Amino acid sequence: MPSGVLIVAEQREGKIQGPTLEMIAKGRDIASKSGGKLTVAIFGQGIDALAGELAQYPVDHVLAIDHEALKFYTPEGYAQALKTIVDKVDPLVILMAHTTQGYDFAPRLAADWNLPLASGCVDLALEGQTLVVTRRILNEKIAVDLEFGGAPRYIVTIRAATFKPSGKGGAGAQIEKIPIQIDAAKIIRKVLGIEKPQVADVDITAADVIVAAGRGIGKKENLALVQDLAKMLKGVVGASRPITDAEWLPKSRQVGQSGKTVKAKLYIACGISGAMQHVAGMKDSGLIIAINTDPGAPIFEYAHYGVVGNVLEVLPALMKALKGG
Amino acid sequence: MNIIVCMKQVPNPDLQFQVAPSGTDIKRDTLNYRVNGFDEYALEEAVRLKERLKGKVTVITVGPKRTEQMLREALAKGADEAVRASYEDPAALNSYQVARILAEAVKKIPHDLVLTGVQSDDYLYSQTGAMMAGFLGCPHVSVVTKVAVEGQDLRLHRELEGGDQEIVMTKLPALLTIQSGINQPRYAPLPAVMRAARAPIREIKPQDVGAQAWDQFVGGFQFKVRKVYLPAARGKAEMFTGKPADMAAKVAQLIKDKGFWRGG
Repeated sequence: MPSGVLIVAEQREGKIQGPTLEMIAKGRDIASKSGGKLTVAIFGQGIDALAGELAQYPVDHVLAIDHEALKFYTPEGYAQALKTIVDKVDPLVILMAHTTQGYDFAPRLAADWNLPLASGCVDLALEGQTLVVTRRILNEKIAVDLEFGGAPRYIVTIRAATFKPSGKGGAGAQIEKIPIQIDAAKIIRKVLGIEKPQVADVDITAADVIVAAGRGIGKKENLALVQDLAKMLKGVVGASRPITDAEWLPKSRQVGQSGKTVKAKLYIACGISGAMQHVAGMKDSGLIIAINTDPGAPIFEYAHYGVVGNVLEVLPALMKALKGG
Repeated sequence: MNIIVCMKQVPNPDLQFQVAPSGTDIKRDTLNYRVNGFDEYALEEAVRLKERLKGKVTVITVGPKRTEQMLREALAKGADEAVRASYEDPAALNSYQVARILAEAVKKIPHDLVLTGVQSDDYLYSQTGAMMAGFLGCPHVSVVTKVAVEGQDLRLHRELEGGDQEIVMTKLPALLTIQSGINQPRYAPLPAVMRAARAPIREIKPQDVGAQAWDQFVGGFQFKVRKVYLPAARGKAEMFTGKPADMAAKVAQLIKDKGFWRGG
């Protein structure tokens, strides 16, 4: 009978990616509670060091597939590698991260292998052979528990910045290199390379004070308020995704999973609702002040201080008050 | 180039929500719905490709009658035909089933390319596109931020974390999930809005794809919504209250007390 948890580690350009350690933390918990093993699979080219790194965490096995066709992630290449591992390990849960790789790989696999997929989970548990997951929906305001049963195994992706990353420790997992024949003709996607973001006008990750603009500022002209406050506090202007999508500010100013991760000493969120994509990039800032019209906005769960109000009224009043007016 | 754009109508996530008495959905009778933001970018990208390469754009959704409003907006913004698979589950939490139904309907429409948004604003599952590609048996690329057609090949940029972009090639026919910010979606001109209000919308029923009922398209496993509820807050900010000027004064004091004010 299938049992235990298989993690598909995420690596890019020779580095283990953040959510992998979060998956190990949650995967360890689920595997131990269900009496199964925790296996981590890693795919790539020249990954001995990465496999060694993973073995320092509390996992039972590290299985590495090293092949030139796996240098970059492709859904067709990774599916062949994962098939080899799944046939060997027979896991009940295949765990991935809800990242751009997880978005691309997990649903394709679910369709091709006719398996249930629970994506973007903030919690999961096994009840015998049944899977129960929790997801947050509708801008974090609603939680939903979903039950999946009767499948030989389940694919689960977990949301980044939800679980505390695993610390090192454990007995030193065995590393096994798994040989593979990859059918290159089946790999339709060709990866030509990775482009880095262009050098930014300002490095927001180096700033002590960030005043960030979100959708709540309404229109581009209102950015001036945010810029003025940033200048008064000797800080820089950051933004949530809708602002850079609309090209009101350059991409280099975007805070969040798809932009920059910042740890400012002071972070003032102006009209930002606090979607996970944004929060993942700023939640570790020292002092977070949020201004938003929606009292139910999730940003208030992460902020230390909150103001329910319109930034267009609050910001001018705040600047006046700072000047002692 | 014939392009199909899959769209979803979602409740505006800025609203407040309540749990329905059933405990397995939210109260929906008073909700405002709008088009999923990611799908607007997918539609715009399709219309731009059509303007460059000729062909036709068909928009399709899986959902109840109310979704026709969204399809009419898409027609006004440059889509040529609109199709609705009449699936009445208002929550549509079973994404496997939604993707299967969409795929069955898409198979009935000639196409070279299928576009969806990366995810939907309400659930952020990011499943439907890549899953559909599996059911259709065509290659897919997710989180696309740039599309170039080179004969039967596609040269694409896909977004990774931290601002990195991966450049990939794939082959037509293909399915792409489109990332927000790839373009600046257009507004519909008034005459087009008027025309779209009267345009026909083709309805696809299970019988049209050779099925008895949509429930035929569930996976080989059990799926159940166990519970919908208001989550406990992870934390709570200390809230300032009063008029905007009063709240602003308290924030100013806080900034000064914490040493962030250096008389800028």
